[in-house]
Amino acid sequence: MEGRFPDEVWLQNFCQKLNSDGQYARIAQKWEGDLSFVIEAGGPIQSTIVLYMDLWHGACREARVVQEDEKKPAFVLSASYEVYEKVLSGELDPMQALLTRKLKVQGNYAYLMRNVPVILDFVRCAREVPQPE
Amino acid sequence: MQPVLKINLTSGEWERLDIRKDWAEGYLGGSALAARMLYEHISPDIDPLSPSSSLLFLPGPLTGSAGPAVGRFVVCGRSPATYLWSESNCGGFWGPELRKAGFDGLWVTGKANVPVYLWIHDGQVAIREAGQVWGLDTYAIQEALQNELVDKRIRVLGIGPGGEAQLPMAVILCDHGRVAGRSGLGAVMGSKNLKAVAVQGNGKIPLKHPETFARLRTQANRDLHDDNFTQALRSLGNAGGADYFDYLGEMPKKYFQVGIFEGSWKVSGSSVAEGILAGVSACHGCVIACGRVVKLQDGVKRKGPEYETLVGFGPNLLIDDPVAITRFGEQCDRYGIDTISTSNTIGLAFTLFEQGFITEKDTDGLALKWGDVEVVETLLNQLIKKEGFGARLAQGALPFSRQYGAEELALQVNGLELPYHDPRGSSGMALSYATSPRGGCHNQSDYFLVDIGQVESSLGLKLMSRQAGAEKAANVIRHQDWRTLCNALVLCYFANISPQMVVELINAAVGLDWDVEAMLQAGERAWNLKRVINNKIGLRSQNDTLPGPLLQPLPDGGAAGYTIPLADMLQAYYASRGWDAQTGFPTPEKLATLGLEWTIPDIWGK
Repeated sequence: MEGRFPDEVWLQNFCQKLNSDGQYARIAQKWEGDLSFVIEAGGPIQSTIVLYMDLWHGACREARVVQEDEKKPAFVLSASYEVYEKVLSGELDPMQALLTRKLKVQGNYAYLMRNVPVILDFVRCAREVPQPE
Repeated sequence: MQPVLKINLTSGEWERLDIRKDWAEGYLGGSALAARMLYEHISPDIDPLSPSSSLLFLPGPLTGSAGPAVGRFVVCGRSPATYLWSESNCGGFWGPELRKAGFDGLWVTGKANVPVYLWIHDGQVAIREAGQVWGLDTYAIQEALQNELVDKRIRVLGIGPGGEAQLPMAVILCDHGRVAGRSGLGAVMGSKNLKAVAVQGNGKIPLKHPETFARLRTQANRDLHDDNFTQALRSLGNAGGADYFDYLGEMPKKYFQVGIFEGSWKVSGSSVAEGILAGVSACHGCVIACGRVVKLQDGVKRKGPEYETLVGFGPNLLIDDPVAITRFGEQCDRYGIDTISTSNTIGLAFTLFEQGFITEKDTDGLALKWGDVEVVETLLNQLIKKEGFGARLAQGALPFSRQYGAEELALQVNGLELPYHDPRGSSGMALSYATSPRGGCHNQSDYFLVDIGQVESSLGLKLMSRQAGAEKAANVIRHQDWRTLCNALVLCYFANISPQMVVELINAAVGLDWDVEAMLQAGERAWNLKRVINNKIGLRSQNDTLPGPLLQPLPDGGAAGYTIPLADMLQAYYASRGWDAQTGFPTPEKLATLGLEWTIPDIWGK
């Protein structure tokens, strides 16, 4: 069914949500950096899926499903589908996922630690993207 | 387990002390085993600075094994700052070297007639005169003894002039600025005329199942190396979270009086990394390398400040200059005094000056202005020399405050100055501070990390709001038990490995067959034993509290408006712990459950 994480329709809906959310625009107004979400193969995911998002000053400039190694973003987040699902459903706190070895992050940690509130609001937006039952 | 070296500095006699098997298996090592070993040797009539006091240096069963961040040891005794149970753990290389020298601990009693140092090497022990090195700072003493013993591989721990002067904030330091910093055990060393302990050994670290351990160790270190928390620590040091703590109102400013300070961002781990950082340093076998090496304008590479020093001499005093903070930290290290207690006491002095408790008449004409680096430098120099106003500061926050009738304003618990995690931004720290066996301390449970998300579900922890109340008590207890176990191993809190991996490492190293629950019960046992030791000394439920200013809400910042429901939290805590709320004693039933029934007569009577 289209519109479910992690398909292209869901990703475009998420991008639209970021571009229409006033709170995110305010909190992320200084954010400069693209990122990829790597959904590792396993469970319902046959092969690795990579979602790429270019985020700039509180807006999403580009979002699309890409091939592995197609992009070299500033940040790469990797986890299983199950972990992403739990974060999106609210069952798993994003900081808990980061701090208990469930979700791996690569990138500039100095920048990340200065921008934890941006990341948390980014997750809030992701959770508010409607998905078909 | 290898024997513990027990030495009486009065008589000069020493012996190899074998540790009972049930103690080694029930308490493992570190501060847990130390509590059992010292139980009969800590009492109200033994002053911590008297010759009859004990000072015990214990590694743990994983120390030196090249396991994940396990190069640590702990120093235990009775604190001259709090007069309670004291433990202070320390990284570096000294602990592993002691084990390689053939000893799984060093127990010092008595007092030498003249300054001495100990030289322990491959099972041999010598007491040597230290008159020629008395007065040296904590780095110079290491170099001096390595030169005297003609071996740069020798590991030395020692005290500085602060320990020699028996200041209640005196530390013990080894290697590249690794510090057993809290609760004044450097003063106990000084009171025994013991300047330093040099160790060197070539033995093997004993492991029950070495092949299994090697496999687990490799896996654990690989996982740890790649972990997010590790990468943040390696990149930014342990101040990596400072920006977030600032945002949450968890980082104290102006002696915990305000929630916003514009200059906070300048003293975070990120700012240090982007500014003065010149390299990193690591303890024995550690893949994290959280230690900071910085280079200032003089071109000299030196130890950089970690979180507590950055905040204590930074936002706590409304200072935003990481270079000045680095120098303050180095001055404290070299002199051998604790940066938390020192900066806390200076923050108190600023507060008392602002509120009119003290004036320029008291400070020899010095105006104590927040944010003034030169004033802090002057106070620190006076404190170190015990000159003028500085002699009063050198007593620590609580005795200092009493001189001006301002005891309630001293931010301490049971005599130990609070570190820099505001419990109004992380309510679990309220219980952590109030019930810690060594006074105001974040190293019996660094619950602030749980409050931002380090919620290990396999420990039974649940995710809760960082400003939750009484419902958090059971969570805090589980975390305290876990951290007590870490302090037994001695496992660095920064090693973000799974509890299941930890228990497997213990089983392979010691030959046990524990699961996570059994491991946590060992932590609970040790936590309660330390409580009984304190109860014997005189600690009661009334001591489980926070200073008044922290029970008022902050006016601004990320934790503004929140009031800690401490009474409700404590009530829930006692109930979950199985402690009697009236006395604060563990109940006889709880003690029996933990195999501590033999302690019951000591607090409950026969």
